[in-house]
Amino acid sequence: MRRYLHFLWACFRLSFVGDWRYHAWMTVLTVIALTGLYAYCQQLVHGLQTTGMTDQVSWGAYIANFTYLVGLAAAAAMLVIPVYVYRNLQLHDVVIFGELLAVSVIVMCLLFVNVDLGRPDRFMHLFWRFNFPLSMLTWDVIALNGYLLLNLHICGYLIYSAYCGRTPSKAFYIPFVFIAIVWAVSIHTVTAFLYVGLGGRPFWNSAIIAPRFLASAFAAGPSFIILTLQIVRRFTAHYVADDALLTLRRIVQVAMIMNIFLLGCELFVEFYTDTAHVASARYLYFGLHGRHALVPWIWTAVLFDLLALALLVLPASRGLPALNLACVLSIVGIWIEKGMGLIVPAFIPTPLGEIVEYQPTVNEILVCFGIWAFGLLLYTVFVRVSVPVLAGEITAPGARPAAGAH
Amino acid sequence: MARYGMVIDLKRCYGCYACMLACKVTNHLPPNVFWSRVLKGESGTYPNVVRQALPVLCFHCEDPGCVKVCPTKATYKDEEGVVVIDKNVCVGCKYCMMGCPYGARYTVPEWKSYFPAGLPLSELEQFQKKAWEEKSGCGVATKCDFCSDRRKNGKEPACVAACPANARIFGDLDDPQGEVSQLVKQGRGFVLKPEQGTNPKVYYLPPR
Repeated sequence: MRRYLHFLWACFRLSFVGDWRYHAWMTVLTVIALTGLYAYCQQLVHGLQTTGMTDQVSWGAYIANFTYLVGLAAAAAMLVIPVYVYRNLQLHDVVIFGELLAVSVIVMCLLFVNVDLGRPDRFMHLFWRFNFPLSMLTWDVIALNGYLLLNLHICGYLIYSAYCGRTPSKAFYIPFVFIAIVWAVSIHTVTAFLYVGLGGRPFWNSAIIAPRFLASAFAAGPSFIILTLQIVRRFTAHYVADDALLTLRRIVQVAMIMNIFLLGCELFVEFYTDTAHVASARYLYFGLHGRHALVPWIWTAVLFDLLALALLVLPASRGLPALNLACVLSIVGIWIEKGMGLIVPAFIPTPLGEIVEYQPTVNEILVCFGIWAFGLLLYTVFVRVSVPVLAGEITAPGARPAAGAH
Repeated sequence: MARYGMVIDLKRCYGCYACMLACKVTNHLPPNVFWSRVLKGESGTYPNVVRQALPVLCFHCEDPGCVKVCPTKATYKDEEGVVVIDKNVCVGCKYCMMGCPYGARYTVPEWKSYFPAGLPLSELEQFQKKAWEEKSGCGVATKCDFCSDRRKNGKEPACVAACPANARIFGDLDDPQGEVSQLVKQGRGFVLKPEQGTNPKVYYLPPR
């Protein structure tokens, strides 16, 4: 126990050590996170009226970001599967960065859910008065917290083992790695079921939402990891092979093809059948009765997705500049498509046919930025701490550096 | 035990909004919140045009979508079949608002004045705010409860009492001789969105 406290203290101290770029980056993130916290305090005092949400559009930017981030968290499985199932050697040394990303992102997800509550002081009711298994929200609570614990355990155990200078015992983490793979798929499936199971919202009432969620997650998530690994490679001593990035590129490529294909299937069903249920999709893509706030957004997303797909299938994306551009386009395109493009239109028109548009307020946007900054801050600290510990540069007093954690 | 329901006769309703106002006053609803509303629409082409009023409220469904999805069991059907919310348990996740296929639920972040921003609450508003917080509360889901306070005193819901055309009839659906069940059977009673499978207990009688 004492050694573990030493470990935590060493990690804490290490998180403050870095060059000026590290400090500048952390300062910017801290300022944004604190601004977000201030905005949230405003929301705590005045309630959700500080947001753009209404009785008609009762979920907005918070849940949109939440949905996107669940995908990002699930994408850690796309690093874990090649390493532990297919024994991919290139990704072997970087898989922990995916797992650490999952931890930070799940924390962000939980924060986004919390800031969306009208009575956050009663958050614990979600654990004490559990409407399980009837309410899909309770399934989501289990799935997200379970996934957080699994990844915390796996990363924490591996990093602590490296700190203690001993080879990690497979029995302590391999079973959890395989559970986490299934769990990663389940968090996104359960989040999709959260929407799909509502009969009164025809826009969500499609069985294809869950597969679409997974496809988009497995495109946006590894894209994010490709960019992150290049930053790790650039600013730390950790070696990341180009082959690892190219393996991830193949995953993004296939996932993006699936994502676009499923989106096409959805659009065909909506617009070819042209029933009364198409109203929300029509609002999203073309506007409805003169209201079209989301139209520019969704076409931007479609354009970005298609451009990313075109780049990814071209051999040019084997070079890093084109690959990075494709990754940025995938991340932004899917963020729009799966966030605002999926959540908001389901409320427009309302079940009784009224049209009330949604626009997030400045306060709401600041809270979103704050949570993103906090998540990135957390991830930066995790990477900052894990790289030297796994490399054996920081060890417990008297311990010998262990060879390779995974 | 009674199983309460309501019949709204669309032939009689002429859209005067008396029900909407009675509900608002009785339940101390804040600005922009109407548990009971009257929607209006037009159909047909000139010269055969019809303007129809459609009063809507919580339909207190037999199989309510909102109860199923609530993560904390804050919303439930009481022993009289009325869908109610325990304001002390609701976390304000708004999932029930998504689960309701009729848009009959509302949240109030803060009880604000009817008058321009910056003015203090009037004495009446302060009274209403206090009453609202006792009954429903801010930050949580709220909705029509068939005027539970009035029913405790043996009265019918405010919207029913206020209707000048007697378009609303309230009573026990399990009482075969009762006016409500008789009207549902004889008057071709129908419900909104039957395909949702929620089995609402508020029935409409056709406009013609």
